[in-house]
Parts: sequence; structure tokens; C-alpha cells
Amino acid sequence: MTTLETLEPIFREVFDDKSITLRRETTADDIEEWDSLTHMNLVVALELKFKVKFALGEMQKLKNVGEMLDLINKKLA
Amino acid sequence: MLFNSFEFILAFLPATLLVYFVLLRQRLTMAAKSWLLFASLFFYSWWNVRYLPLILGSILFNYTIGGLLAEYDADRPKAVSKRAIFVTGVIANILLLCWFKYMDFFIATANGLLGTHLPLLKIVLPLGISFFTITQIAFLVDAYEGLVEERNLLNYALFVTFFPHLLAGPILHHKDMMPQFERLRNKVVTWKNLYLGLMLFFLGLFKKVVVADTFSQWASAGFDTTQPLTLVPAWLAALSYTFQLYFDFSGYSDMAVGIGWMFNVSLPINFNSPYKATGMIDFWKRWHITLTTFVTTYLYTPILRAFGRITFSRSLGAIFLAMLISGFWHGAGWTFIIWGGMHGLGLVVNHAWKKRKLPMPGLLGWLITFNFVNLSFVFFRAKSLDNALRMLGGMAGMNGVMLHRSLATSKLLAKMGITFGGWLDAIKGSDRTWIMVLCAFPIVVFWKNSLEIVSRVRPAWSWFALLLIVAYWSLLDMSKVSEFLYFQF
Repeated sequence: MTTLETLEPIFREVFDDKSITLRRETTADDIEEWDSLTHMNLVVALELKFKVKFALGEMQKLKNVGEMLDLINKKLA
Repeated sequence: MLFNSFEFILAFLPATLLVYFVLLRQRLTMAAKSWLLFASLFFYSWWNVRYLPLILGSILFNYTIGGLLAEYDADRPKAVSKRAIFVTGVIANILLLCWFKYMDFFIATANGLLGTHLPLLKIVLPLGISFFTITQIAFLVDAYEGLVEERNLLNYALFVTFFPHLLAGPILHHKDMMPQFERLRNKVVTWKNLYLGLMLFFLGLFKKVVVADTFSQWASAGFDTTQPLTLVPAWLAALSYTFQLYFDFSGYSDMAVGIGWMFNVSLPINFNSPYKATGMIDFWKRWHITLTTFVTTYLYTPILRAFGRITFSRSLGAIFLAMLISGFWHGAGWTFIIWGGMHGLGLVVNHAWKKRKLPMPGLLGWLITFNFVNLSFVFFRAKSLDNALRMLGGMAGMNGVMLHRSLATSKLLAKMGITFGGWLDAIKGSDRTWIMVLCAFPIVVFWKNSLEIVSRVRPAWSWFALLLIVAYWSLLDMSKVSEFLYFQF
């Protein structure tokens, strides 16, 4: 089971911001560097870390951290 | 058929709407959808019926491949792997596009490099092929990755051919469209949607036939002339094209979204005041938005994945490559590749700048962005590389400066090497040219865009009067036939 704590370092690295703390409700609006492009960087970084693969068409639709977490856990199950 | 033609506005659109809603009212959903498909194919064939089999073949092929992929059972391996089916499907689409769009470019390049004299094929580009090819490639990718659940040929064919978007976008995604056609059964005519749709349609038509078509005469004269342009007309021609392209393409997109609303179908928004952008990243969030989304999802991300571990410099490389390909998608020529490369470079610089947290005042950001975009559109518009360089030369003052006759009395100006005469003759311009170009700036920078205007529309007489004026003015200016710029892509 992946948790918020395991996601945090990846977010910090992709967005180059050590102060990031995550909640399930965190969205792109809460993190300055999070735009449509870095969103894709984030998702590909998550893929590499958790050895899962997202479908290209579902990536853009992931709106907040909670949704990402759920999808990763679903794929790991 | 063009949106800006009398046969479309006075016959095709009203008849299609009427029959569609009569059928829906009778609860004949299948018939209503079939009618819409028939109308869309009729709309497509109006231009050249020879290419009807092409689009039908493309739809059937991709639907079949999509079906094979969606239903592929991994536990019961077949003779052909899922990956092989997918790759075949994508390659077939790319080959089709190559044949119709890029063959002559490849032949000419080969002739140039190898010194051969292969004859060009002079194939006529079928309308909309660039658009229906990439939306269907996205469908195949999604089917391969298990995202296609809904399988219905009629809904699929409608998603590809629905006439508002068929020829030049907005670039649709099957996940947004097919469920809308599935839910149609209880939809009856909605007066609010019809009213707002008409409003947006006529605002778009106004942007096209009144504004864009006016700028187009100076842009065309300037870009297509062989005589050297002096400083002022060169700039006016380039700016005219930059404004023409925006009002033409965003006007077309407004019309598409507006028509969609009339049918209770929501199409994605394609423009959000792009010339207000204060940076290149900002620009691509506002310009041809559905293309940006497509390129980010189906081009940038696979490239990034292929690079392996993500670093900042690799992501910049992926951006540049994706924009280069996107440029080539627009047209088979070096000018388009340069255009794509310029935008790739602009995005890379913008991202690097942002990463270092360097400051950028808003006004300076706007100045750099607008001028960079304007220069890039010189390549986008010019028929050849020579043509583009000639225009840039004129803009750099290489052909001197000529001003209006009335200023000839000034000795100071004459000492500076300035000549006087019919200063705008080369672009068939008059005082109206520079006045309109100057007026366009505050409009694109400070005004609300058409969607913002329509979001304020109320069922009041004042708004209705505005609708009538805009519609009347546009219809008056519609006597001349002019295609939309994005039809050539």
C-alpha cells in the first residue's frame, strides 16, 4: 500500500521544492510549479518509482494527489 | 462546405437542426444520430465527393483495429500480438497522412539531396485529413492501453465526422465525445443553447469575414509580392497576418463550438485570448488549446518516457522535439519545421527562465512573446524559405524606409535616408491599414474574448439587437468566398 509519505519525495524532486507536504486534496493550484507539462513529468516519475504504467489518455485526468494514490494502489494490487 | 457561405447558414444548418430535433422528439434516437452522420458526410462531400471513400475507409479501419485492441484477451494469445496490431494501426494512419500530405516534400527533398529529377505527384490534400488522422491515432493508443470501453460504430463515426469540427478542429477526444452522443436520446431543442450557440456562431463569423478577411488582403499582398518591401509595409504585412490568423482560426473555433451548442453537444474551447500571453508557456495555454493538450499527452509524454529517467534537461529536449513534430504536422515544408523549432526553443527558454526563478516584468514578457510569435508566423505564412527571409529582411530595414508623401517637406527625415512616396502601395494598403493594425492591439490585449462575451449574454433585447447587428454585418461582408486558413493543414 502506497501512502502520501512515499509520494512526497517524488513531488519534491519533480517540482524542485523541499517544502512540499501532501494531502489527498492537494491539486495543481497548491503547488506553483505544477502545470500541464510538469504534471506529465510527475506522472512519468511515479511510473518509474512504482514500476507501474499509466495509460497516456488517463494521465491528464488525474486532478489531485488522492486520485493518483488510488490509481497507483489499484495498479499495484 | 464553408461555415461562411450562404448555403451553409441559410440551408444546411437550419435543415440539419430541424430534422435532427424532429427525429429526437419522436424518440428516434438512432435515426437522429444517423441523420447527423449523413449530414456530416454530405458536408464533407460538398467540397469533393472523391474523398468520401477515404474518410469512410479510415473510420472503418480504425474502428476495427480499435475493437481488436479493446477485446484482445491476454490469456489466450493469438497468432498476432496486441502490440503488432497496435503498431500496424498507427503506421497505417501515418502512411496515409504521408502519402497525401508529405509525398511531394519527401520527393523534393530527395531531388535536392541526391540530384535526382523525380517528378512531383501534386496530390490534392484531402480536407481535414491531418485532424481525423491524429484524433484516430489517439483512439488507437487509448484502445491499446485499455481505456476504450464504449464500442458503438455510429457514435464513433459521429465523433470523427461531426461536421462542426471535422475540417479544422477543435481536436476532440473520443472519451469526451462518444458519451455525449450516447446520452442524446432525451435531448430536445434547448432554446438557451440555441440562442447562445447562434450568438457565438455569429461572433465567430464576424471575426472571420469582417476582421480576418480585411487583414488578409494586406497580408496576402505583402507575402506574395516579389518586389522588396520597405520597413513599414513589411511590418504591417506581418502584423496583418498575425491578426488575420488569430481572428480566422479563433473565429472558426467559435463557430464550431457555437454549432455544437445548438445540437446540445459541448466541444472543447480552443482559444483564450492568446495575444494577452506574457510568456511562451502562457501562449500555448491560450493558443490552439486542444492541440497543446494533444501534443502534451500523445507526443511529449511518450518521448519523455523513451528518454528513461527524468531530468530537467531531458524534459526540455522532449518539449523541443514535440514542437518540432507539431510544426511538421502543420505543413510539409521547412518553413513549418522552423516555425515548430522556434516555438520549441521559446518554450525551452521560458522553462529554463522559470526554473532559475529569474524575474520577468509583465509588460516586457508580453513584448517579447508577442514579437517572437509575430516573427514565427512569418515562417508559418511564407510560401518558401526565401519568401520568409525576404519578409524578415524588409522588417529589418534592409530595403530602406519609405514614408508618406506628406512628410517629404521634413529635411531631417530626408537626411536620415528616408524616401517618400506611395509608402503602402506594395501591400495594396491605405491609411486604413495602419489604423486597423493599431486598433487590433488594444482589442486583442484588453478586450474580452468571444467566449467571455457570450458568458455574459442574457435573454434581453439589447443582446438580441447585438446578435442581429453582428449577423447582418457579417452576412453583408460574406459576398466573397474565402477559406479558413487552417483548412490547408
